[in-house]
Amino acid sequence: MDHEDEERPGWVRLPGYDDDAYPHGTARARGIRRTRRASNWTVAALIAGVAAATGYFAHHPPAAAPATSSVTGVPGGTAAGPHKPTLNTPVTTSGGSGVTVSTGPGGVKTVTYRDN
Amino acid sequence: MDPVVPGQPAAPGWMLIDLGSAMVAVVERDALGTSARVAVWPPYQLARVLAVVDAELTLLDRQASRFREDSEISAIHRSAAGVHRVSEGLAEAIAVALSAARWTGGLVDPTVGGALESLGYDRDFAVVPQSGDAPLVLTAVPGWQSVQLDGRRLSLPVGSRLDLGATAKGLGADRTASAAAAAMAGGGILVSLGGDIAVAGEAPDGGWPVLVADEQEPASTRHARPRPGGPGVDRAPAQVVRLSAGALATSSVVSRRWRRGGRTLHHIVDPRTGLPATGPWRTVSVAATTCAEANAASAAAIVAGDQAEAWLAAQGLPARLVAHGGRVRLVAGWPEADGGLVEPPAACRMTAGPKGLGMTQAGPRGPADGRGLGGPGEARPA
Repeated sequence: MDHEDEERPGWVRLPGYDDDAYPHGTARARGIRRTRRASNWTVAALIAGVAAATGYFAHHPPAAAPATSSVTGVPGGTAAGPHKPTLNTPVTTSGGSGVTVSTGPGGVKTVTYRDN
Repeated sequence: MDPVVPGQPAAPGWMLIDLGSAMVAVVERDALGTSARVAVWPPYQLARVLAVVDAELTLLDRQASRFREDSEISAIHRSAAGVHRVSEGLAEAIAVALSAARWTGGLVDPTVGGALESLGYDRDFAVVPQSGDAPLVLTAVPGWQSVQLDGRRLSLPVGSRLDLGATAKGLGADRTASAAAAAMAGGGILVSLGGDIAVAGEAPDGGWPVLVADEQEPASTRHARPRPGGPGVDRAPAQVVRLSAGALATSSVVSRRWRRGGRTLHHIVDPRTGLPATGPWRTVSVAATTCAEANAASAAAIVAGDQAEAWLAAQGLPARLVAHGGRVRLVAGWPEADGGLVEPPAACRMTAGPKGLGMTQAGPRGPADGRGLGGPGEARPA
């Protein structure tokens, strides 16, 4: 600002404004400069932060919103991404077409073998 | 939103199977005369996946089931016409069946429907009389070359009966897995239709563990066990393999058996004889790029008998063959170790073009007509 030290109508100098310990205008100017420097660093940090976040999400898409489902309460229902499950129990059997496996009330399974 | 309770319905008709992991949802219901099982991760996508799966299975059943009076294929069988305009879905199913026939030199053939019906497999297997006094009746197989498909225009000799059993469940698994994966926001899916399995999307770390066995058993069973009440059979030990991509299918003569005319029959008919196949293998599992291809290859291997190992090796299809005595043969990189990764080839072996593998040039005729497997790219004259 070019007019920091100008006298303005109705303004009153603060006590000690002309003291030798505080050269003319120094305290106020220093404060403003300090604020300017702080603002510059803040802006730089913000820019760097936004850039970093943009880069991260470009490579790690955020989780999709879960669909309405009867199983959304399952713990571990993470979104697709780096956290693949590791399974040790077979999820199904490949044993030749034809044997009917029925699942009844209460999860009771009836395996019907047709080879007499 | 309700928590999952194993053993309770996950969606209409589907029961949740508890595998002890909350990272994957596994459900099952009866479908297509057998059971359909679906595994999904992450599990919260199950609802949207099952909507797709239900739609695909319903479509396939209405297109290709010869046991439904209201199916498209049943309407064709009842028709006195020889030319039909079929739906895109049925056209695809028939095209895949014809490709499989061409590829296998006619050892899987969609025109075995009449032969199967003559043998007694003329209704959903759950209601086929297992111990019939009826005499055994043989019907010659017209041959897949008698079927012409031009886009959606199907020409079929009047009276011919199609059975798409060697490819339809595999195609259904392919369709369903693919459509469901497209509807998912990441993650992966496994679809099993009676043990014919297709996977899509991202597999779990290390792949989907699958139990390969002579018979369909609950997935928590690690090793084969004697059949309840059945005669003693020298069973090959079951094996767990892991599947990260592609498909896996198993054909077996151990299941779907019934009696006619004093003989025990099974559902894999040799088109050359019109009778159930009599080769040395009782169960063959094959990994392939698509489940339709794996399905066709495993059925063809049962029919091919002694030629099966060499043909599967020439195709580069990992396979596990179990002989009637229980001897196990592994082909084309099928893992020996329990828990090993089975890796299907990256490209389809079953081609739709006119130069399919093992193609014969023979027309429709009776048994022992020279149909059979050829080498890679080999055309076999009649």
